[in-house]
Amino acid sequence: MKLDWSVVWANSGALAQGTVLTVALAVATMALAVPGGILLALLRLSGSRALAGASAGFTELFRNLPLILVIYSAYYVMPIALGVSFSPFVTGLVALSLNVSAYNGETFRAGIASIRKGQGEAALALGMSRWQTMREVVLPQAVRRVLPVLASTWVSLFKDTSLVSVIAVGELAYTAMRIRSQSFRVLEMLTAMAAIYWLLGYPQAKLVDWLNRRYGISE
Amino acid sequence: MSGAEATPVLAYRDVRKLFGAFVALAGVSMEVRRREVICLIGPSGSGKSTLLRCTNGLEALDGGEIRLDGRVLPTDPSGMRAMRRRMGMVFQSFELFPHRTALANVMSGPLTVLRLPRRDAEARAMALLVKVGLEDKAASYPANLSGGQQQRVAIARALAMEPDVMLFDEPTSALDPETIGEVLSVMKRLAEEGMTMIVVTHEMTFARRVADRVVVFEHGAIIEEGPPAQIFDAPKVERTRDFLSHLGWRG
Repeated sequence: MKLDWSVVWANSGALAQGTVLTVALAVATMALAVPGGILLALLRLSGSRALAGASAGFTELFRNLPLILVIYSAYYVMPIALGVSFSPFVTGLVALSLNVSAYNGETFRAGIASIRKGQGEAALALGMSRWQTMREVVLPQAVRRVLPVLASTWVSLFKDTSLVSVIAVGELAYTAMRIRSQSFRVLEMLTAMAAIYWLLGYPQAKLVDWLNRRYGISE
Repeated sequence: MSGAEATPVLAYRDVRKLFGAFVALAGVSMEVRRREVICLIGPSGSGKSTLLRCTNGLEALDGGEIRLDGRVLPTDPSGMRAMRRRMGMVFQSFELFPHRTALANVMSGPLTVLRLPRRDAEARAMALLVKVGLEDKAASYPANLSGGQQQRVAIARALAMEPDVMLFDEPTSALDPETIGEVLSVMKRLAEEGMTMIVVTHEMTFARRVADRVVVFEHGAIIEEGPPAQIFDAPKVERTRDFLSHLGWRG
């Protein structure tokens, strides 16, 4: 079997564009799913049964459905249900955000629960409100404590963005697959795709390790 | 004694607290006057800490009442916040905020609760760190401080709210023996400056020297109270004597 790598170089512009879209999708998803996860965790711990139930329902729905199903559903169902149709990129972003928010919600909930009770009591004893206690004392510690979990969620998310290729979002996987089906250079394109994902993903994992060492709290 | 001094800052009347079937406080009544230092002593689980935690609303009462300057403690959120501003609390396990420096810990209350401008909060916090002898540790994180240093920062943090009453919940019980003294001497100085203090403690020497009154707890009730000379030298209640002798106290 003869490999012809020229197909990769010939399409390097398209692959670069796909890569940019992959990064943008992952960043935008996390930018929504971190506040989303914090919100879900706060609702879950709010003490209101209705809010906690809504949060739990959301979490269990999106955590237990296959992501690809959520993506297809967002693509086919959202326009009918909401009467609006978004671009494939926004549709993919919505689906990924729903999924990752559900995971982040559980992560933040565990992080908040891991902060010992005395910390909150010390803040309350100073005269802080429950919300100030959460914002000033509990959340900053909880976020630092769950950084490693958020990091592995991020690494998963970065790869899972490839699933939105099924609704024709022109990110890296979609672009590579399109070039493959036009050129029939399967092995070359799969290798190129693997190399790009890995080369992007590995330094991110290392960066997060570093962040964790730098900003983790010692007690 | 002037009329104002005669009004108790804190008045407890028949205070009751249950944890399930366990009776933590079985009807406690006592008064704390301005500038008074009260030490609560007694065996573990006798209700001393619970009484402190009820005093600033960290635990809700199951009966009786506590009055601050003659007014029943509020139970609504904003009333409780206003009440807590007037009481500083120091915990056995310090509970400094580990993500903030010593200075930022002391600034927490003034910034977030009193909403002082940052510069004023910082000046106040720095002055308090000087007061507890830790100005050179202002930029240190709690993890890099000894237990005694952490507790002194915690005292400064509580004082930053300029409270009328300081509540100390076994402030030296988690400390290494060699750092207990530095915390007690800060507390002693506060007492000499006229701070109203309620101190739950097992440090009998401190209670003997600093307290105006010592209150002995057992099974959620006060079994004896009086000036240190009475409690330590001539207790009227046999069980007070038993408790003190178990601690190795020989007067």
